[in-house]
Amino acid sequence: MRTRLSGADSHLSDADLIRLADGELGSGSARSVLGHLEACWQCRARLRELEGAISEFVRLREEAFAPAIPAAGARAMLRARLSEEARTTTPGRFHISIPALATGLLVLVAMLVTFGGTVNADGPKPRLSITPGETRPVSLAEVCASSADSAADPIPESVRLQVFAAYGMDPAQADAYEVDYLITPELGGAYTVRNLWPQPYSARWNARVKDRLEHRLHQLVCSGQLDLHAAQRDISTDWIGAYRKYVGPGI
Amino acid sequence: MGSSLQAVVGLLVGTGRPGRSALEEEVTAFYDAFRGPLLRYLASMRIAPADGEEIVQEVFLALFRHLRDGKSRANLRGWLFRVAHNLALKNRHAKVRHAVVEASGESVDPGMNPEQLAVGNQRQARLLAVLRALPEQDQYCLSLRAEGFRYREIAEILGISLGSVANALERSLSRLSRAGGEA
Repeated sequence: MRTRLSGADSHLSDADLIRLADGELGSGSARSVLGHLEACWQCRARLRELEGAISEFVRLREEAFAPAIPAAGARAMLRARLSEEARTTTPGRFHISIPALATGLLVLVAMLVTFGGTVNADGPKPRLSITPGETRPVSLAEVCASSADSAADPIPESVRLQVFAAYGMDPAQADAYEVDYLITPELGGAYTVRNLWPQPYSARWNARVKDRLEHRLHQLVCSGQLDLHAAQRDISTDWIGAYRKYVGPGI
Repeated sequence: MGSSLQAVVGLLVGTGRPGRSALEEEVTAFYDAFRGPLLRYLASMRIAPADGEEIVQEVFLALFRHLRDGKSRANLRGWLFRVAHNLALKNRHAKVRHAVVEASGESVDPGMNPEQLAVGNQRQARLLAVLRALPEQDQYCLSLRAEGFRYREIAEILGISLGSVANALERSLSRLSRAGGEA
């Protein structure tokens, strides 16, 4: 086949021709490739063929992969979600002015005084706008065929990073968190980002506590005492509330 | 309630501007510019149109958080495609798992039918078949190159080496050109 130019009889490789056309050759190589092309009809013909393949691919792509859905509805939805995101999340700490910070601290202290224990007792919860919890279509029989604590596949690093990015968290803090399914796959939870959230290891209401709840819900569902959908709903809307309801008031 | 809260947040961050923030407007402008190209790329990854639309929404929500947190603004176009690419892989992974769970034997490739409908002539249908027979990495490289990315950007989006990008493009264009020649 074609090799990189070395002797008088050799021709340019497809790789060299494509890199030349793409402007990805260094200036030295580009000069020698161009010099060869001026002299060599075969290589020029081959370059023409490759360019032909590029134009055909471009045409094919425009026809086969054209986005068909009108954009207005999707655009409005994004605007709404951005507004929600802007409302529900803390602003970046670098922009907070000192007086504003002082005011914020006062408000926080007032809240702590007023609501006392409930702030602490609330524990870590997923943000519903990012992690509403998603299910996959499974039957009760399938749910109960697997044991409550059968090991799920490890969550890939790229997905973990996506979850941290979604929560606006620094990946450097990642070690302090377990990325966990909100609705556990053993209860029919989906393997999607919208069913994943970062759960701090250090919190009192931590992943091991949630595991106990999941185990209990699996038991209740599979012994016919609780509807699968009710279990999915309760664990995704307020897992700590669900723990108190199904396992017990304290940890 | 919601808007008053937003105004308070606005005061806290010192913008004092009611209503939509400049960042929301900026992200919307990015959306208007890149929704089409991202959807086309996702379609080339065989993501069904409705899923593609949802992934694009996720991408721009992530962009909003990225910029709000003051992260790098270098090559945001490449950043958008990288996030979309990773979300698409995740989506397909989930789809495969669904298909396994359902085990209904009716696992029609979701990306294929609209394509076949869209491609009118036989020659293009054959090219599409050749394209689909290429290694997936090669297909990604071709699509990203067609979006105008340089080799280095493609390597960053896909998390592969520069040499792999060049090899993928060589392999796929060689094959496509042979397929064209046989028509």
